[in-house]
Amino acid sequence: MSDHIDGPRSIGDPSIDTTDLFTFMSPENPARTVFAADVFPSAGSSAVFSDAANHAIVARRVTVAGLGDAAKFQPGEREIRFSFRFDRLEAQPGAKPIQRGTCTLPGGQTLRFVVNDERGATTPDGTIRVFAGLRSDPFNLAWLVGALKPFQNLLEHDNVLCFLVDVDTKRVLDPAEGSLFGVIAETTPAPAASALVGHPPRRFDWVGRPEQTNVRLNNAHLGPVDDLRDLWNQQTPFAIAPEAAPLFRKRLLDSLHQYDMSDGKEDWPPAQLAASANVFLDDFQLIDVAKPTTDTSYLEIEKSTLNGRPYQTGGGRTLNALDIDMLLTWLVNRDREPLHGGAKQATQLGRTTFPYLAPPNTELQTVVESVAVDAPADKVWALIGPFGAMWHPLIAQIRLTGTGAGQLRTVETIDGKTIIERLDSTDNARRQYRYSGVTGMGASNYTGLLEVAPKGSGSTLTWRVQYLSDGQPTIIIKTIVATLQKVGLESLKKRFG
Amino acid sequence: MAQTAELVLERVAATAGDIAAINLESARQRSWNRFWRAPEQPGIAELIVEQEQLTAQFTGDLAAFDRLEMLANDLAQREPESVRSALVAAQVACSTHRFAHARQSLAVAVVRGASAEVTDRLALTIDQATGTDLSIVLAARRERSTRPGHWQERIPLGALLADLGDFAEAERTYLHALRTYPDVSPFSLAWVSFQLGVLWGESATVLQPERAAKWYRTAIDYLPGYVKARVHLAEICLDQGHATEARALLEPVLASGDPEVAWRLGDIAQAVGDSAEAMLQLAAARTGFESLLAIHPLAFADHGAEFYLGSGDDPARALELARLNLANRPTLRAFEQACSAAQAAGDANAAARLRREASERWGSTAAFRISSLARI
Repeated sequence: MSDHIDGPRSIGDPSIDTTDLFTFMSPENPARTVFAADVFPSAGSSAVFSDAANHAIVARRVTVAGLGDAAKFQPGEREIRFSFRFDRLEAQPGAKPIQRGTCTLPGGQTLRFVVNDERGATTPDGTIRVFAGLRSDPFNLAWLVGALKPFQNLLEHDNVLCFLVDVDTKRVLDPAEGSLFGVIAETTPAPAASALVGHPPRRFDWVGRPEQTNVRLNNAHLGPVDDLRDLWNQQTPFAIAPEAAPLFRKRLLDSLHQYDMSDGKEDWPPAQLAASANVFLDDFQLIDVAKPTTDTSYLEIEKSTLNGRPYQTGGGRTLNALDIDMLLTWLVNRDREPLHGGAKQATQLGRTTFPYLAPPNTELQTVVESVAVDAPADKVWALIGPFGAMWHPLIAQIRLTGTGAGQLRTVETIDGKTIIERLDSTDNARRQYRYSGVTGMGASNYTGLLEVAPKGSGSTLTWRVQYLSDGQPTIIIKTIVATLQKVGLESLKKRFG
Repeated sequence: MAQTAELVLERVAATAGDIAAINLESARQRSWNRFWRAPEQPGIAELIVEQEQLTAQFTGDLAAFDRLEMLANDLAQREPESVRSALVAAQVACSTHRFAHARQSLAVAVVRGASAEVTDRLALTIDQATGTDLSIVLAARRERSTRPGHWQERIPLGALLADLGDFAEAERTYLHALRTYPDVSPFSLAWVSFQLGVLWGESATVLQPERAAKWYRTAIDYLPGYVKARVHLAEICLDQGHATEARALLEPVLASGDPEVAWRLGDIAQAVGDSAEAMLQLAAARTGFESLLAIHPLAFADHGAEFYLGSGDDPARALELARLNLANRPTLRAFEQACSAAQAAGDANAAARLRREASERWGSTAAFRISSLARI
């Protein structure tokens, strides 16, 4: 994943785990530039920012200091820093608590905002606008990267916590002084009023180009090697420690070579591979704010420079770029032949208006119940396996329409409700059937699985239902489903022991 | 001991406990959804194990154990030959104290090629929990705790030192852990603080309830919903005659379903003379313990025995559970509990036999010399 869960430490508090960084020309106004960073991979609908960390987006002006095998991007010393701090939760009578935050701008000015307020906050002159809140994860990870196998988007329906700045390019970034920038996002410890004790790390996590940690530094095919990701995450962006640089360079070289050879063809001669490793070692996202960015311009600046010619686009990384496809294509065959993941886009496409990242996805709800019974799996399956079987005490009547996959069952419950469900598949060998809801549950994407598995001399029944709330509060549907499951499974426990 | 050092230790900066708890629950639910959508996704089952263990440990949501069992069963069915199904089975069995099963699954994981880093860590956990080769475990814990990026190792090291009777070093280890904490998650900080509370409130040769209470309060400060810390602090408050404070600690976490909460609320009601309320709460605790014991007997045998030795007032049941726990993990603490239960049940022969067995197994250790078994 781009930078999702990229070190053992991140698991302790996922809200400090920087997952992604996007840099692009605003689709709303070409005179503006957007830097958007995400934390908290796979954040649920209630996720909130940590109040103990600084969240920052930092840009430095960069110059092209070498081409071809000497490719080099040299960052300047001056930082343009946007720092976000988040407050503790504020209780709201009769409502969910809210969280507020403060963004400190490069000149020291501050902007207060409310998390999840899509309007964000804007400086009085409109130069800078900021937003922070839960959004749909724009990253499309449609690969099992370790196996280089296309797959469904592993982040489908996922959300992230996003913090972003939308700036007037001319006033804030002054492209006349140099329009090429390197950008990173980071989380660092926030100084506490009670003074820090011990030796807090200088940095929790940071991200420049996507996949530095999880793909390039942590390549599973390199065998039993040390996990360098936490060490990397504690490096200072734009200034990797000289004593650690050879270690990272060697790992990058080994990893890039492995990717190159993964299709059995060498597309990267040693000198060019070394140049590529050096470019990736300087890990910041490159964007030329004087040129347009597009969904295909990601990495163009690096590629052109490594190929010994001037770059043509703004580079950057847009929300809808298929960057993992582009990256793997570049690493494996140096753009000889495009590689495609198993999904063409993220769960939701980025928007053309502020705050650009799509609203959070509705949480897919899962309700699972299981019970162990003292009867062989085949015996239990004989009772409950038929789609129209009458075994549930809360069901008064079932009518079947059709046969096999696609068969409909109209269920009348003992309290007078009507539910219609469609059989999707039956697997008698695995003693399971899958079905989906047609009407009657007040939910969409409603699917169910009923399964019997042998366990010792008895068996275990599992009944799983997933749905998106649609028309009724989640908790009501959850209660109805859980009651159906519990009563049904308890009746089987009584019957079989 | 290092009281001076302890006194100057200030609160370590961490994410607010309510935010961390919300985010844990948020991430846990999301992980399950991802698992059901693509169970083959690398790392997702392992992440769920970690999140459910945190949930059980810190929020008192003991249904986490049921969900862990479900995960292990599901994986065993989907991937009967995989490394991760064996590893998850071992981790889940360890979480529910089915140590023999955990060892079997771990052996299978090793045969299937699981990484030594993971299997060694789990093997250490099992050995420590069952009191197996503790000198080897101690050496390994010491070595691992010095490795870069292995801060978390310091907590089980401290717990082992306390079990072995080296309370001074246990405390130093915990305090050092607090001073060198590299993260902002409050869970581990709350855990270390809780362990320091246990050290002073239950383990040390000379118990210091005030000092223990201070650490339990620190744990709750880091994590207001930390059920176990509230239960332990409420016990101290009640012992000191502060029934109102004890009740205020427990009532907010009654909904967690942890039967220890009802147990202590019953004790409080008893102490203030409200017999009807006491009966209600203790009945709820009894039902709660028996429900848990019906599903996870080994995980709750020692807690159940403790309950029946106390307000549960059923020494025979206590002895039965204590024996179950002892057979599962013959630690010195398990011997102490079983012996107390035998005495309470009026079975002097069993008590004598247990003392003898304990002496044979643990007699040469420093911990035995300061244990209640040596004093009898």
